[in-house]
Amino acid sequence: MTQQGTGGELTELVALARRAATAYERPDLERRLAVVARAVADDRARVLVVGEFKAGKTELVNALLGGRALPTDAHRATTVPTVCVHGEQAGVVLVRGVAEPDGRASTEQQPVSPGALAEHVTEKGNPENRAGWSHAEATLPRPVLEGLRLVDTPGAGGLASPASLSTMAELPGADAVLVVADAGRELTAPELALVRTAAAVSPTVAVVLTRTDLHPHWRRIADLDRGHLDRGRGEGSGGGGHGNEGLRAVRVLPTSAALALHAAEEADLPAETAQALVTESGIEELRRLLVSEVVAGRQARRVRMATDEVLVACEQLATTFRAERDALADPARAHRIAAEVEHSRARAAALRDRAARWQQTLNDGVADLVSDIEYDLRDRLRAVVTDAETALEDTDPAKTWEQFAPWLHQQVSAGVSTNVVWAEERTRWLAERVATHFAEDGEGVLPPVAVGPSPDGSGLVADPVGMLAAPDHEKFGFAQSLMIGMRGSYGGVLMIGMLTTIGGMALLNPFSVGAGLLLGSKTLVDERKRALRRRQSEAKQAVRRHVDDVIFQAGKNSRDMLREVQRTLRDHFTTTAEELERSLAATAEAAHAVEADGAKRSARLADVEAELERVEHLADRARRERARASAGPARSSSSRPSRLVGA
Amino acid sequence: MSAPDPSGLVGATRSVVDGALHLYGSGPADPATAWARAVLHDARARLDEPLRVALAGTLKAGKSTLLNALVGERIAATDAGECTRLVTWYRDAPSAAVVREDVDGRRGAVPFTRDAEGLRIDLGGIGDPARVGRLLVDWPSRGLADATLVDTPGLESIRETNSRRTLSFVTPDDRPSGADAVVYLMRHAHRSDVGFLEAFADLAQGGAGGLGAVGASGTIVVLSRADEVGGGGLDAVTTAGQVAQAYREDPALRPLCQTVVAVDGLLAETARTLRQSEFTALRALARAPRAEVDALLLSADRFTAAEPPAVVAEALASDPDGVRLDEPTRRRLMERFGVFGIRSATTVLRRGARTGRGVVDSPSLAEELVRRSGLGELRDVLSSRVLGRRDVHQARSALLAVDLVLGRAPRPDAGPVAAELERLLTGAHAFTEQRLLAALRQGQVGLPEGTAGEAERLLGGEGPGAAERLGLDDGAGSDVRAAALEALDRWRVRAESPLTSRAAAEVARAVVRSCEGLIGALRPGEH
Repeated sequence: MTQQGTGGELTELVALARRAATAYERPDLERRLAVVARAVADDRARVLVVGEFKAGKTELVNALLGGRALPTDAHRATTVPTVCVHGEQAGVVLVRGVAEPDGRASTEQQPVSPGALAEHVTEKGNPENRAGWSHAEATLPRPVLEGLRLVDTPGAGGLASPASLSTMAELPGADAVLVVADAGRELTAPELALVRTAAAVSPTVAVVLTRTDLHPHWRRIADLDRGHLDRGRGEGSGGGGHGNEGLRAVRVLPTSAALALHAAEEADLPAETAQALVTESGIEELRRLLVSEVVAGRQARRVRMATDEVLVACEQLATTFRAERDALADPARAHRIAAEVEHSRARAAALRDRAARWQQTLNDGVADLVSDIEYDLRDRLRAVVTDAETALEDTDPAKTWEQFAPWLHQQVSAGVSTNVVWAEERTRWLAERVATHFAEDGEGVLPPVAVGPSPDGSGLVADPVGMLAAPDHEKFGFAQSLMIGMRGSYGGVLMIGMLTTIGGMALLNPFSVGAGLLLGSKTLVDERKRALRRRQSEAKQAVRRHVDDVIFQAGKNSRDMLREVQRTLRDHFTTTAEELERSLAATAEAAHAVEADGAKRSARLADVEAELERVEHLADRARRERARASAGPARSSSSRPSRLVGA
Repeated sequence: MSAPDPSGLVGATRSVVDGALHLYGSGPADPATAWARAVLHDARARLDEPLRVALAGTLKAGKSTLLNALVGERIAATDAGECTRLVTWYRDAPSAAVVREDVDGRRGAVPFTRDAEGLRIDLGGIGDPARVGRLLVDWPSRGLADATLVDTPGLESIRETNSRRTLSFVTPDDRPSGADAVVYLMRHAHRSDVGFLEAFADLAQGGAGGLGAVGASGTIVVLSRADEVGGGGLDAVTTAGQVAQAYREDPALRPLCQTVVAVDGLLAETARTLRQSEFTALRALARAPRAEVDALLLSADRFTAAEPPAVVAEALASDPDGVRLDEPTRRRLMERFGVFGIRSATTVLRRGARTGRGVVDSPSLAEELVRRSGLGELRDVLSSRVLGRRDVHQARSALLAVDLVLGRAPRPDAGPVAAELERLLTGAHAFTEQRLLAALRQGQVGLPEGTAGEAERLLGGEGPGAAERLGLDDGAGSDVRAAALEALDRWRVRAESPLTSRAAAEVARAVVRSCEGLIGALRPGEH
């Protein structure tokens, strides 16, 4: 595991806090800090490289890495996502989900030699990803990867269609998304749709133009793209009031992977020339973005989260000591202090109560969400059914079903995934409301830093929804391996749509065509009209049945998801209240148990003062760490110049 | 214009359309009949015009550039951004004219000028562009004699109205397609490309008469921007050729098109309009030290930068032709040739200078660049397999129109016309050939080892001419006759063998018929 800059300090801080919690006999706090320690240990930012089929994504990743580490080919596209991480020992592991006999999902891992990667992750050896790998994990000794999980995805829109589904499924939870587009032309409508989806789910999105070396007019293209992004959508595209403001923040970065690779590979280039090439390639700027904004941004969020947790723990420990100290210093007041603490404890206990306001907010909110989301889903799918029936009206299903079924699947998937994304947004909002109410209920009892939005408004300290929403490769791999097995049959088509959503993935697919265009639009001349009518009505019924099944499954799915969210949130806040209660109980006990004997009392007082000082010291360290992180990611990055190309 | 009509198909088609026109010419003047009449009149008129070939494809695939390359003149405007926003027809005519046709059918002249850069159409005065249905450019050019070329706005544009214009021209709802054949440009095969090709070929209609197969046979897919596919290196177009080969065999694309070829449109256009000044500039560049020029050509930016390295500047200053490769000149070269084009041109010029043979002057450079760009192959395929089957493609458009009219504006007395249509659809041997070719290409028919290729050829899969069908170098009369008779015998045995499957026997019978056609066409010469 690589820990740079503040990372090591942070690990140490959390470890120290854990030791303190153990020493002061607070296993509950220790448990909580253990979770934090794990999160701090793996704090690599996930960066997705997405874009249309054959846009030069892998080439760009290679240029970022400073050498051809991943296989590229003029014709054969990447079919399996490849995750690049930093490590001293180069190696590649292929991962796929397998179904255990007892129905559980687990993963199978197979190490392969890096040279044979093309056999497994491109159309060359693994067309349409028939082998069913969920992803390949390449460990590379490239410093630029420190703190990153750089994911090279299969392109969207290629003839091997399932690839594009996995691209969409990867989007949620990414720390940054690089949308790769050709510098030879303006963004196309599907590309803009991809940017829009990415911007909705990821904090940092950039359009990376490739091959500026071949296109003399890339500056104009970059300007045109800038214009499209600022407008958010095409001129005169009329309908659809999509949120566009977010696209202003999307940057356009022109790059030339060829130049950067040329500089990296030609050993006998003068250093000066190589540096000029790298500068011209624009790759350095992209690296800077990744390091200064993405890695540092994630780092800053992590530091904030971890130091907040440490401060909460310190505060709880300190409260106990402070009460004891006050009682020791003035035994006459000991009972009053104990009574006050008891009162606080009762309030903390009330926080756990089912009748607490935050609990009601949570329960009512989830109930509302269940019905809203279900309504939304039905509404979306009803539109699909209407479209499908209109299309079937004009064609003979016997001839068109082969084209129709995938279209239907795509539309249904799009509807379901839009619904899932929307559900996620609403759930996040609910979680924040619950947190706010919890904080208000516990005002005066809760340590001030425990809950409430962080300075950048990024939500809860321990973001429980974020944890739920984080994409789970294993789960996804499982779904995908099933997809491969069942491809071809109509039943398979139905299941795929469901499985991918069961995996908790959003698969918005902007790459769809209308049914009318797909099926051709000439009316039928069929003398056997009756047979045709029967076929049409059977097809329509099949569509309705399918959509009903999907609503049933997806509805159950979202209810389960929400119940899980409800449980997680309840547990999170209840545990917080419990910890608090324990703290206060310990405090009350300490206040009650004040020694009558003067000498012992002053000895204990000195002890307590010393303990309190230690805890304060720890809290100070956490505060310093936190201040340093919020002082700005820019500073921490400037000390890490890229030392890759041109060396 | 009188069209060669070897199969008599156009004549038969004309009589079907005439029959339908007669039918709808009388009767009530309700909107449906009026619509039917308009569709049929258009279909009838198209039979006597040159073939309509649409250039379609995604945004910035290089449609206008390729159109210029095919015509050999810069008549369609091109630009780095999205440029073609209207469906524009380029027709051969005695004198130049540009006419705007509004959606409501009204027409008006559009001012234009012509300079070294090509045709400039002044669209400033056309008012609301949404009102304009299409632009008609009449242009006297040999390149347009055989086919009317139709330039279309790119698909998948962010400006949706532009893409919609193309769709409503090539795959409209209420008319047969405006194009008889399509040259479809793409960078790589996307699923959306396949969707478009399916819609044009209308494979869903594949049943009667196999018109879907005919539509597919009138589609040529061009892997445009071949230079970029291969990364702009010297072997870029070769690499792109391999990619095209792979697409030719792709099961998703194979049934949808005649073939796939790789073309560097920009280089093709420039090569066909090469100027002497460009030749001398390139020659000067080829004389400069190679390593330095290569370094200069690492990126477009470097090449057009204000100051080239001293070594290059020095070499250029002492150029015997006195060429000044100043910044504007280099910029223009980049504009016209692209990185790959300049690399290719200087390479062949260097070789020519070294050996004193091959590429030594402007015409030989143009010729070599046309070859390297892949345009030569495209023109061959286009003329032999698409323009050469003009009868089939035009008949298809016209019969689809009749079919559409009979379906949408049904009449109780349409029986005889419908029967005639059905007879032609199922009976015309030219259609049968196309249908079976498509079936063979999709591997639906199991023919004995090694005979499928011959069957495809004899059915006209590589061109309709006798020599192409028989696989002869050149069609000297007696050769053709002997070869055709020999093939006829061979396939007759296959057709009659009880061991042949039904589908294979159908193919064999059609091949026999094609051979008979070849021999029949020879007979007049025998006397």
